[in-house]
Amino acid sequence: MTSPPMTSPPVTSPPVTSPMVSVTNVSKAFGDVVAVSDVTFSVGPGVTALLGPNGAGKSTLFRLMCGLTPPSQGTVHVFGVDARRNREVRGRIGLAPQQDALFDRLSARRFVELAAETHAIADPTEAAARALGFVDLDPAEAKPVGAYSKGMRQRVKLAAALVNDPDVLILDEPLTGLDPVQRNRMIRLFHDLGDAGKCLLVSSHVLDEVARLGSDVLVIAQGRLAAAGDYRALRSLMDDRPHRIRVVAEQPRALAAALLARSLVDGVSVATDQLVADTSDVDAFGRAIAPLARELGVRLREVQPLDDDLESVFRYLVERR
Amino acid sequence: MSAGTSMRVVEPLRALRLTYRVVLAQLVTRGRLAALVLVGAVVAAVAAAVGVSDEIDDPLEAAVRVIADLGFTALVPIVALVFATAALGDLRDDGTLVYLWLRPMDRWPVVAGAWAAAVTVGLPLTVIPLGVASVLVDGGGALVGATVLAGVVAVIAYSALFLLAGLLVRNAIVWGLAYVLVWEGIVAGYGNIPARMSVRGYTRSIITSRTGVDLDLGDLSLAPSVIVPLVAAAVALLLAARRLRSMDIA
Repeated sequence: MTSPPMTSPPVTSPPVTSPMVSVTNVSKAFGDVVAVSDVTFSVGPGVTALLGPNGAGKSTLFRLMCGLTPPSQGTVHVFGVDARRNREVRGRIGLAPQQDALFDRLSARRFVELAAETHAIADPTEAAARALGFVDLDPAEAKPVGAYSKGMRQRVKLAAALVNDPDVLILDEPLTGLDPVQRNRMIRLFHDLGDAGKCLLVSSHVLDEVARLGSDVLVIAQGRLAAAGDYRALRSLMDDRPHRIRVVAEQPRALAAALLARSLVDGVSVATDQLVADTSDVDAFGRAIAPLARELGVRLREVQPLDDDLESVFRYLVERR
Repeated sequence: MSAGTSMRVVEPLRALRLTYRVVLAQLVTRGRLAALVLVGAVVAAVAAAVGVSDEIDDPLEAAVRVIADLGFTALVPIVALVFATAALGDLRDDGTLVYLWLRPMDRWPVVAGAWAAAVTVGLPLTVIPLGVASVLVDGGGALVGATVLAGVVAVIAYSALFLLAGLLVRNAIVWGLAYVLVWEGIVAGYGNIPARMSVRGYTRSIITSRTGVDLDLGDLSLAPSVIVPLVAAAVALLLAARRLRSMDIA
């Protein structure tokens, strides 16, 4: 995966390989709403996770890559061409869209078979059975997909995206609704496909999910590329950022003074029965707070991070630019 | 799975057949069929009442008016509206159009297949009750022939126009209904120019030219009455293909 030079966050990009998907200075606006703003990156074989909160612009980016909507500015190429204009390249893309839309009156086999037929696959029945096997669904099941559970519908979408053996797989929140067993199975499948030279772009808004998807991550927040590169570097960056922690305790003033005296916090504000501390070393703070309270004879009631949610992580990444 | 995929494209006729099958399966629902069969039955029932009435001086003229006013001003456009706006419009609205759009296929076969599906459902739901109605009003062979011909032409034209509308606007059925009621139902009656810009003017001309009964706005000969709506349908389908190529897909 390659991305534009970034001053911050300091996340490194892996070596450049031949890009299968390239997004160059792309912006997309819907009326007055800017969904994607000046995004540049390219991706090659392997699994790349697209991480971002809901409404960050992930689905719009995926739609742009597939040619489902044209960019307002910039270019999006798959194998060097615009999927919107080139029908051949559309045959090399597999998309599992986020929306829960299927031809509800068809069986799973028929739905996936139709996907194979519309990709000009020579033996659609065999291809559909194989793709359904990948996602652990029974091709003989006659029930219409309209009667399927959310997780099963998700797997039908995945099977339809896989049926043409695509070189580029774009999977928008594909793990939503899956049980843990299926989730593991799908993640293994994604890695196998990536190892086989396919380009997989997988979106998620769940940090831990992304950790398991792969080491290459694109972080999208507020329509912008907030970070790109190796997941471990990104995780480290997230852990190293300043944290705000609320401590509910007896004698918060004494506790605050001790925290400051031992340089465990960068700043602290005190109220009647609690303090809010800012620290850039959350691990040291976590290790020290209980022994320190014991030493002071202060009873701790609650220690709660105030900014550990994903939204605040994204906000931090964006505001540091 | 093997890496690398050969360049595959779906031939246009195959793409048309695939789209036709998918859209047909999505269009035919019990609710739609029941409602529209009921409307057709009402038209046939009115025709039967006219056919057995002793109080009508000119039975042929009365019969023609029932067919023209009830059949071609209400039944045919409404049936075509329901199915043609849904043919691609429903797929766009519910997000399933992507399964036909993001494929190695040209756009025009998708439009043609969807239109063919709408015509396939619309024809029997209109031509059969109108044909039955023309028999029940005792209008003779000329009226039956004119009704069937006008019905086929009208379903073809309306389906193309409403399919285009389904791709152009959301809630196309509401806009289409307004068009049917206001333009086709009222404005077209106010002179030759609006009549020439409505399907109704041509269907009335077909009936007039075949039965000899003088209907308002029905003053064109048979050939243009058939050809102009078919040309309009072809233009609408071309515009729909262009629209499908350029539109945003959810």
